Amino acid sequence: MRSITIDPITRLEGHGKIHLFVKDDGELANCYFQIPELRGFEKFCQGRPVEELARITTRICGVCPDAHHMAAAKATDAVFGVTIPPAAFKLRTLMYNAFFAGDHTTHFYALGGPDFVCGPDAPAAERNILGVIAKVGLDAGKKVIGMRAAGQKIIEMIGGKKVHPVTAIPGGQAKAISKTEQEEIAKLGDQMVEFAKFTVQVLNDIVLSNKAYLEMILSDSYAHQTYNMGLVDENNKVTFYDGKVRVVGPDGKEHAKYEPARYLDYVAEHVESYSYLKYPYLKKIGWKGFVDGVDSGVYKASPLSRLNASDGMTTPLAQAEYERFYETLTGDKSGKKMVHSTLATHWARVVELINACEVVQKMARDEEILSPNVRTIPTGIVGEGVGIVEAPRGTLTHHYRTDNNGIVVEANLIVGTTNNNAPISMSVKRAAEGLIKKGSEITEGTLNRIEMAFRAYDPCFGCATHSLPGEMPMEVVVHDAESGEVVSTTRRHC
Amino acid sequence: MKSVFILCLGNEIVADDGFGFAVSRELEGDPLLDNEDVEVEFAARAGYYLIDCLSGRRRALIVDTIRTERDEPGTLRFHEKDAFTSSRHLTSSHQISLPTALRLAEELKVPMPERIDVLTVEALDLETLTEQLTPQVAAAVPRAVELIRKWITEEVCYASHEERKTALEA
Repeated sequence: MRSITIDPITRLEGHGKIHLFVKDDGELANCYFQIPELRGFEKFCQGRPVEELARITTRICGVCPDAHHMAAAKATDAVFGVTIPPAAFKLRTLMYNAFFAGDHTTHFYALGGPDFVCGPDAPAAERNILGVIAKVGLDAGKKVIGMRAAGQKIIEMIGGKKVHPVTAIPGGQAKAISKTEQEEIAKLGDQMVEFAKFTVQVLNDIVLSNKAYLEMILSDSYAHQTYNMGLVDENNKVTFYDGKVRVVGPDGKEHAKYEPARYLDYVAEHVESYSYLKYPYLKKIGWKGFVDGVDSGVYKASPLSRLNASDGMTTPLAQAEYERFYETLTGDKSGKKMVHSTLATHWARVVELINACEVVQKMARDEEILSPNVRTIPTGIVGEGVGIVEAPRGTLTHHYRTDNNGIVVEANLIVGTTNNNAPISMSVKRAAEGLIKKGSEITEGTLNRIEMAFRAYDPCFGCATHSLPGEMPMEVVVHDAESGEVVSTTRRHC
Repeated sequence: MKSVFILCLGNEIVADDGFGFAVSRELEGDPLLDNEDVEVEFAARAGYYLIDCLSGRRRALIVDTIRTERDEPGTLRFHEKDAFTSSRHLTSSHQISLPTALRLAEELKVPMPERIDVLTVEALDLETLTEQLTPQVAAAVPRAVELIRKWITEEVCYASHEERKTALEA
C-alpha cells in the first residue's frame, strides 16, 4: 500500500494535510484530513479586560477580522447586559454586509471560479484568477477590485479605520455617521448591487452553461446528507449579523432553533488523536463518526448550509436566485428539498453575495442610521456573554466569562472552519473514493478534484501570522507504505 | 491620499510577527512625517486588502518579518517586490499572499506605486502568542526605523543594490 499526502505547507508546518492511503491495486483504503489552527488563543484572552477582545480577536485571522470584531462585540454587549440602540444595530449590520460581499467576491472569482471557469483539468498555471480574467475579460477583474474598494470604503466610514474596524464597543458604536457619509454609502450600495447582477451573468454564461459543472454538482462524489446550520431572522430568512441559530436535518426538517446563548445545549465537540482541531457535532443526535444521515450529529455551517437552514432570502434579487438555485438542483424552488452537493456551495455563495449587496443598498437609505444615539452606556455586568455571527465560512461563536470587574476568566471560540471539520473530512474522503478506483491512474486532475472538495468550504488555515513569503504551496508526497520510502514529491504553488 | 506609504504588516500578538507593529509605533510622531507626504500604517491583514491599500500611491515600502532560515534572527534586508514568488494556485482565501496580491494587481492593471520595496527582518519565533519580540528581533527595530527614514528621504529608495547593502552594513 502507498500513501499520498496533499500538504498545504504553512508556518505551522507539519499540519494541514490530506493523507490518502492507497492499496497496491490502486483502491483507496482510507483518508484523513488535518488542518492547523491557532492554538492557545483562548488562554491568551484570559486576564484581559473583556472590552479589549473586540480588537484582540481580530488578530486571529488576516482575512476576516471583521467577523471576529462583530462576534466579540456582541458577546461583550451580553457580558455587560446591554441592548444596543437601533441605529447602532443597523450600522453594524450595514458594515458587516459590506464586508461579507467583499469576502464572497474574492472567493467566487479567485478560488471557486478557476475550477469551473477554467476547468478542473486545466494546467495549474492557468487555473487561477488570472485564468478567470483571461476568460471573462479584463473589465471583470477591474469590477472585482472596484467592488472590494467599495466595501472597504463603507467599512472605513462606519468602522472608523480602513484597516481594522474599531467602532463596535460595549453598548453600540463609538461614532455615528454624517449625512454626507450616508449619501456616499448609498451610492456605493448601488454599485455593489450592479456588481452582484454582473456576477449572476458570469455565473450563467460561464459556469451554469457548462454541463460538466452541473454534472459535477450532482455527482455523488461531492454530496453529503448532513444537518445544516445557519442564522435566521424571525421569518427564517438568511441573516449574517444577528438572529437565532437554526439547524435543519438532511431531510429538511427543523432540528433546533435557539438563541446564541444556548449553543452549548446543542453543540458539543469530538476529539480525534491525529488532529488538533476538534469536531463539533449536534449534542442531541450524538457523535456517530464521520458519517452522514439523520442519525449522525455531523453538521455543515457554510453558505450552502445557511440556504438549506432557511426559508429564503430577505431581498428580492437574492430570493429570485435562491429559487432558481433550488429549482435547478432539486426541481422545487421553495427550498424545502435540501441541496447536499458540496460544490453547490459556490452557487450558494453567489446567492448570499447578492443578498449582502442588496442589504447594503437598502439599509444605506434607512434614515435611522443617521441617529446620533448609537450607544447605550453599560451600567452593570452580567459576567457571561455569547456572540454569534455568520462568518463567510460558517457560524462564528465567541463565548466569554468574566469576573465582576470585566476581566476575562474563560473564552471559548468556535470559528467557521471548525464547524466544518467533520464535513470537510467527509467531503475529501467521498471525493477520493469517487475518483480513486482500482486500476485507475492518479493524475494532477484527480488530485485537484479532491482539493475542490475542501476548497468549496474555503477553510481557514490558521493564518494568524502574516510573515513573508506568505505562500502556502500544495505538496503531494507519494511514498511506499511498506518501506516508508518517498516515491515522488511534487510541490505545486504556481 | 499621501503618496509615500510605509505599510507595516504583521500581528502584534504573535512574537516576532509583531515587528511591523513595533516599527510603526516607533515611527509615530517622527517629525519627518510632518514635513513629508508620508503615511505610516500598521495592518494585520493579508489577501486582496493589500491591493486596496497600495493602489494610488506613488511609492511604498512594506515592512514585514520573514523566515528564510539562512540569516541570523534580526537580520534586516531590502528586497524588490519581484524577489518573491507568488502562489497562484489557491485553495483558500488565506493563501492570497503579498506577492500574489502584487502580481494580480499588475495583471489587472490596477494603478500601483511606481516603486514597491520590502524591508524584512529574519524572525526567530513566529508561533508563540506573546506581545514580546525576541531580543534579536527587538534589537533590529531602531536600525529598521533609521533605514525607513533614509528610504523616505530617497537616500535608500532609489539606491542600487550595492548601495543598499552598504547602508544596511553601515
